[in-house]
Amino acid sequence: MPFEMRFEPIFRAAAAVRSRSPPDPWYSPSPRNGGARGSSPRAQRVPPGPVPPRSVRAELAGPGPAPAAVGPGGAARRPPWRRGLAVLPGRAVVRGPAGGSQPRPRWGRAAYSSAPAVSGKEGPQQREASVRRRGRTPQFAVPPRTERMAVDQDWSSVYPTAAAFKPASVPLPIRMGYPVKRGVPPPKEGNLELIKIPNFLHLTPPAIKKHCAALKDFCTEWPSALDSDEKCEQHFPIETETVDYVSSGTSIRNPKARVVTLRVKLSNLNLDDHAKKKLVKLVGERYCRETDVLTIVTDRCPLRRQNYDYGMHLLTVLYHESWKTEKWESEKSEEDMEEYIWENSRSQKNALDTLLRIKASENVSNVSKEELLGSEVVTNYRNSVIALKNEGETESNMSQYKESVKKLLNIQA
Amino acid sequence: NLMGARLAGSHVDTQEPKTNPLVSLSDEPETLYKRLSILVKGHDKAVLDSYEYFAVLAAKELGISIEKVEKPPKTIERFTLLKSVHIYKKHRVQYEMRTHYMCLELKYLTSSTAAVYLEYVQRNLPEGVAMEVKKTKIERIPEHIKKPVWDTLPQVEEAEVKS
Repeated sequence: MPFEMRFEPIFRAAAAVRSRSPPDPWYSPSPRNGGARGSSPRAQRVPPGPVPPRSVRAELAGPGPAPAAVGPGGAARRPPWRRGLAVLPGRAVVRGPAGGSQPRPRWGRAAYSSAPAVSGKEGPQQREASVRRRGRTPQFAVPPRTERMAVDQDWSSVYPTAAAFKPASVPLPIRMGYPVKRGVPPPKEGNLELIKIPNFLHLTPPAIKKHCAALKDFCTEWPSALDSDEKCEQHFPIETETVDYVSSGTSIRNPKARVVTLRVKLSNLNLDDHAKKKLVKLVGERYCRETDVLTIVTDRCPLRRQNYDYGMHLLTVLYHESWKTEKWESEKSEEDMEEYIWENSRSQKNALDTLLRIKASENVSNVSKEELLGSEVVTNYRNSVIALKNEGETESNMSQYKESVKKLLNIQA
Repeated sequence: NLMGARLAGSHVDTQEPKTNPLVSLSDEPETLYKRLSILVKGHDKAVLDSYEYFAVLAAKELGISIEKVEKPPKTIERFTLLKSVHIYKKHRVQYEMRTHYMCLELKYLTSSTAAVYLEYVQRNLPEGVAMEVKKTKIERIPEHIKKPVWDTLPQVEEAEVKS
């Protein structure tokens, strides 16, 4: 027996059973079929499937009577795949046709069905109606919800939260996917690409505005006095930077989240000259000379709060230690100096020596060193030498040095 | 129509804010965030574009000033593997992973506003998208760094090492 024919009696019986159920408002026929709700919904429906042969189609032209079949009483609400089992032979519930029009055969496929024998125009109609549907296609194909959606509906109630894409709930003619040869991308029905990609249907601008209106009560105002970065720095000099990480994975923890970066400008701290130089020497690379910013990065503790506390502790210690003066600091030599200091340098000694010898050769009365140091030519020379040493050799520095030397040695050239 | 009329003698203050029963005010001072830098990473540029629109609109609605929105260039990580389980060294297969970025910088937020915004934006983070939030908190110099402690301590020999 061919495969379909073995199940044909069950399908036919199921079809007969279903025809008895009252027209369910949920299963209203789609407008395509005329929207007619006859007394016998089965008779007018043309379920989707392969088109019946021409001979059968002619018989289907007019509304035919519903197959007068009787089935088990409680089968109206059973799911489609259970209905067939109720009419298998051996169950006491099974009854023959009420009319008793034809004697019930004792063998063959007709023996297994409680439907009347196929005769005339009813048969092909039943067969094509019940057999042509394959797989999970429901008998009453529900029209999608989109057809009942108003244009001005509240979309945030259709998609209140993040949800997968439902083609029957989204009234948009979306196509997605690689197009067929000389065709268009596949439609939205049964389109896996549309379901896979995250959609923002729950975050339309009106929905976002609604959410933000509800969240606005929990926000606080930024103090209006701090409207620029400079004011922020003036009143709140210390900046603490922390990073949070959000990602999908087996764990929500990220070990990089414990790192804390502390930044402060040394000009905002209460430091004198010696303290600042000592602090800069203590921190080494963490200080940037151009921006005068001290950066402390801490990650040695397992928790972020501990790292923050450690960073503040380091800052405190550095600050207080830099104000201390140790005994060995007096041994600071010229190589340790950060910048060139002219006092007590060879340049000062040489200049003074030269000037004294000039004065001695001119037989001027003994001029004291302080007078010489305070004189204008020496101060000029001092400034130009300091500029050369600290800032490097530039055009202006060199010319300034030249002028000061000429004035010092009194050369008019 | 009595609905809109104000009854005589009633003190109807139009400036009276509607107190939300869910909001509770606490006395502790708010921490201030000078910058909030949100970097979003994903494999699909269209998803990041939609998310950018959402995050920018949310910031505007909540009254947060946006400094800039950047789209750093994507990074592609490629690697080559052997195609076959055993031998066939000359036949390989190559895979690549593209990561697109979107950086949103906000400025001048209080801790409440930052918490509200970040929770809203993180709850609506699409699947497969990662986020890094860099918060720059500003604070005053603490009391113990205002003045060196040596001035206030009694004169003690420097044998005492302060840790």
